[in-house]
Amino acid sequence: MTAPLIDIQDLRVGFRAGGRRMVEAVRGISLAVRPGEAVGIVGESGSGKSLGMLAVMRLLAGGARITGGRILFDGEDLAAAPERRMAALRGRDIAMVFQDPQSSLNPALSIGRQIVDVVVAHQAVSRGRAAEIAVDALERVGIRDASARLGAYPHEFSGGMRQRVLIAMAIACRPRLLIADEPTTALDVTVQAQIVDLIAELRRDLGLAVLFISHNLQLVAEIVDRVVVLYGGKLVEDADVFAIEDSPRHPYTRLLKACVPSLTAPPGPLFAIDGAPPRLGAMPPGCPFAPRCPRALPRCAAEMPPLTVEDGRRLACWNPQ
Amino acid sequence: MSAPILSLSGVTKSYPRGGMLGSVFGARAPVLALDDVSLDVMAGDVVGIVGESGSGKSTLAQLAVGLTRPTAGTIRLGGEDLGLLMRDHAGPWRRRIQMAFQDSSSALNPRKSIGRCLEETLVLAGVDKAARPAEAAALLGRVGLGAEMLPRLPHELSGGQRQRVGLARALAMKPDVLIADEPVSALDVSLQAQVINLLGRLTGELGLTLLFISHDLALVRALCRRVIVMRKGRIVEEGPCLQVLESPRDDYTRLLLSAVPKGIEGRRRPPARTSNPEFPRP
Repeated sequence: MTAPLIDIQDLRVGFRAGGRRMVEAVRGISLAVRPGEAVGIVGESGSGKSLGMLAVMRLLAGGARITGGRILFDGEDLAAAPERRMAALRGRDIAMVFQDPQSSLNPALSIGRQIVDVVVAHQAVSRGRAAEIAVDALERVGIRDASARLGAYPHEFSGGMRQRVLIAMAIACRPRLLIADEPTTALDVTVQAQIVDLIAELRRDLGLAVLFISHNLQLVAEIVDRVVVLYGGKLVEDADVFAIEDSPRHPYTRLLKACVPSLTAPPGPLFAIDGAPPRLGAMPPGCPFAPRCPRALPRCAAEMPPLTVEDGRRLACWNPQ
Repeated sequence: MSAPILSLSGVTKSYPRGGMLGSVFGARAPVLALDDVSLDVMAGDVVGIVGESGSGKSTLAQLAVGLTRPTAGTIRLGGEDLGLLMRDHAGPWRRRIQMAFQDSSSALNPRKSIGRCLEETLVLAGVDKAARPAEAAALLGRVGLGAEMLPRLPHELSGGQRQRVGLARALAMKPDVLIADEPVSALDVSLQAQVINLLGRLTGELGLTLLFISHDLALVRALCRRVIVMRKGRIVEEGPCLQVLESPRDDYTRLLLSAVPKGIEGRRRPPARTSNPEFPRP
């Protein structure tokens, strides 16, 4: 088995909530991704999925900080790396694409300028050569006539095209890991499908490892090899995508699958999970899903189940299916 | 056949291109947000309006509820002209049609408690002062929330709870028609289903006519009996929901259907999907 490209070990992220109290939002998550592997990270708001990945990029803001654990990238601990080192890695070895393509681009600079800036920041090339790299990256993400569009500004592109520009910027330096945080949520459905296909294609052609964050299991299942399910800052299940689809074992995974509306289900009420995710700072001592779980045992509310490993599946549940 | 409760006839809405400058240098053609749309909605109908950004679906909602006036054409609500109704009979107009918005955090005043927000609406509904607290609690009950929410401020609620409060406020006027503009698109999957089921239950219990605006065909399929597909300000296809979604006649409807994520089934049987990156911007 190949060594992992990134090996996140017991990652904890917390922030101060009034006074000296620390609230933990990512509560000990371990996760490894091999070179070229695509992993989906699925969870609801507050599951810790976005905060965990921002921690990997060391882009935490608003008082949030890494409170424990290690993030080994190629063996180097990013959690402890100096900011200068992170600035060199970010955009070159690890790149991230965000949900909102509108606010991720500088509206006052042409897209060519923005991509060239990224390239010259990381590679010892002239701006002329960097422009060629930018054209190449834009063409790779499906923007036709790219050299003529280098001078165009973000507002001249539709939302989907702006997301393509951001993906071009992310891949321009040939990173080994692409983190995509809900990259299609702000886009129209038809454009969403194109962007998902594009990420799958880039991964195949460039050998990129991908961490695809989404609340939509159905979307993630289209392109990833493996799905990691987070709930309340904890990893509850991690398995091969086909295993997650065919035989989910954590009740949350199973219910999450059931409540995605489909075009083939019989019409009528949708399956819904009662209740709401736990609030930050008010996490139950046991399994965070216990209050909403139809299979909960008395023990579930009192004690967090340990993460077990069986047939390549990781699972944290006292009463799995 | 009875008269439609909401009727649009030849409705067009155009905006000057490029905002202020566009109207100063008014040489360029205006943007047609809605282009000669005619539509009848019967009482008790549950209608899904689908389309992408720029399709005109939100413009249609804003026109129907009276937030903006059509450039041409007429809108009739309960048989009466909407413009005249708004001008001369604001009370009956508000009771006939209400709207719930996509973004529940900006639709509620952040400094007013949920109770106060509902009671202010109940004033417009003509409910006596003494009866308002109980009525506000009853409204919350109707959308599946407890009376303990009344003293809370919007930011103390989850997104799903705020969306329910938005619905409760719309229901306070006891409207005949409710327009819900992307009411669940900002919610997590597990909460989406709760709100969709709530809408379904409310239409049944209250005999409410619902216009459900969404880009998610699977949600429309779960909730609506009739669907209208819009593109570039025009209706491209309409009909009974299951019929349209199972045997679409328009290419754009087919494109929308092909774009719905198929999950793992799509990998077992690769879908025929249009991947043209430059599908014309609507």
